[in-house]
Amino acid sequence: MPDKFEPKIIGFLCNWCAYAGGDVAGVIRAQYPPNMRPIRVMCSGMVHPDLVVEALKMGADGVIIMGCHIGQCHYQDGNSKAMARVEVVRVVLEDMGIEPERFAIVWVSSAEGKRFAKVITDFTDQIKTLGPNPLRKDFELNFKRV
Amino acid sequence: MKLRAVSETLNACSGCEISILDTGERFYEILNNIEFLHFPLLMDHKSCIKTNGKKESELPEADLGILSGGIRNEEHLEIAKEVRKKCDIVIAFGTCATHGGIPALTNSYTNQEVLSRYYSTETTDNTSDYPDKDVPPLLERCYALDEHIKVDLYFPGCPPHPHHIYNAFISLATGKIPALPEKSVCDVCPVLKKGKIDSKNVKRFLAPPQYNYANEPLKDMRCLLEQGFVCMGPVTRAGCGGDNMIPRCISARVPCQGCYGPASFNGNQRLDLLNALASQGINTGSLPNTEFLLEFSGAHNLLRPRIKLVRK
Repeated sequence: MPDKFEPKIIGFLCNWCAYAGGDVAGVIRAQYPPNMRPIRVMCSGMVHPDLVVEALKMGADGVIIMGCHIGQCHYQDGNSKAMARVEVVRVVLEDMGIEPERFAIVWVSSAEGKRFAKVITDFTDQIKTLGPNPLRKDFELNFKRV
Repeated sequence: MKLRAVSETLNACSGCEISILDTGERFYEILNNIEFLHFPLLMDHKSCIKTNGKKESELPEADLGILSGGIRNEEHLEIAKEVRKKCDIVIAFGTCATHGGIPALTNSYTNQEVLSRYYSTETTDNTSDYPDKDVPPLLERCYALDEHIKVDLYFPGCPPHPHHIYNAFISLATGKIPALPEKSVCDVCPVLKKGKIDSKNVKRFLAPPQYNYANEPLKDMRCLLEQGFVCMGPVTRAGCGGDNMIPRCISARVPCQGCYGPASFNGNQRLDLLNALASQGINTGSLPNTEFLLEFSGAHNLLRPRIKLVRK
């Protein structure tokens, strides 16, 4: 059994803001935990709720969607669509027996390298306090139910 | 040579078998092509499972195993495994077998909750304990067939339409893979669609929909979803209307209930419909609850008991 719980977090990063923000975080050498696996998408609005729920169902400990600030979407209103879809995900997660806190949506612009690092650090901490996802395949093997 | 078939009913209402009989005179044609060796609902052939330690009848080997219903207890599981062992092709027959169906609504509750609700209400005498003799123990939840055994063909429907049953059985008997409808209900629905939902809220079906006169053809009636009713059409597999394909509920001017399961096989009816509504700018909070959107497809872990949320 591993001594420390290292969460697996899936990140859906919008190409124009959050992913570029991640690049900036690298350039300015901001430090943040390596738990988030980024997936680049063209817009946060294109992330179907199925993808989020599927990731959590398959055992991801957390899912984070990152996009442009409201009003700054490259495609005018993609991130407001994302906002509307997020409400749906929260409702469904609760009924599926997954804590809605495992999922977050945040806005990071392409200039906010430091904020990117802070967001990832905070979210990783949040997932660490929540503990491993009970739907993880290796849950019975490696973790104890509290 | 005739195709040999066995049929068993698991966690279901046996409506799917009635639908086989509902093929009418064409049932004789099915019988000419398929020989039913074991069919507890129609023939004097008992279930293949042990009772009181001895088997009442042996399940014969067959080409076709028709299983309706999901898997809820040990008996279902044993029968399903037996059928899988003895049959070359196993058919998940009806939405209960393919996606859990209505019985899978129980997945929102734990077994403990279900049993205490059933055995300890005010009106029931002797509430001391649950029966444990001569009753097969419940499994953890209600499963679709393919969560436990390999399934070769999926026939969704509550029940599958007799037209499709006939076509499918005849094509199986002639060695072809049966062609089942793969579109969504909206694709075959004839009503008038303008592509825009009028209100910002969705409403329950408490008042009749708007249409101009009693016998108005469906193609002149405004789409029920666009009128603001929760209609499962966009996320549900077509086929309930049989060969002429007009969805049954819609033909009665009632919104689709979703009985054929998700339009794409691995879809989540609730999530997909809520997502569609949310992307249209509809306030999904206006629905009293959303479990009912999974009325027919709650297996595959889509419905689970609510967790007690830990809040700081």
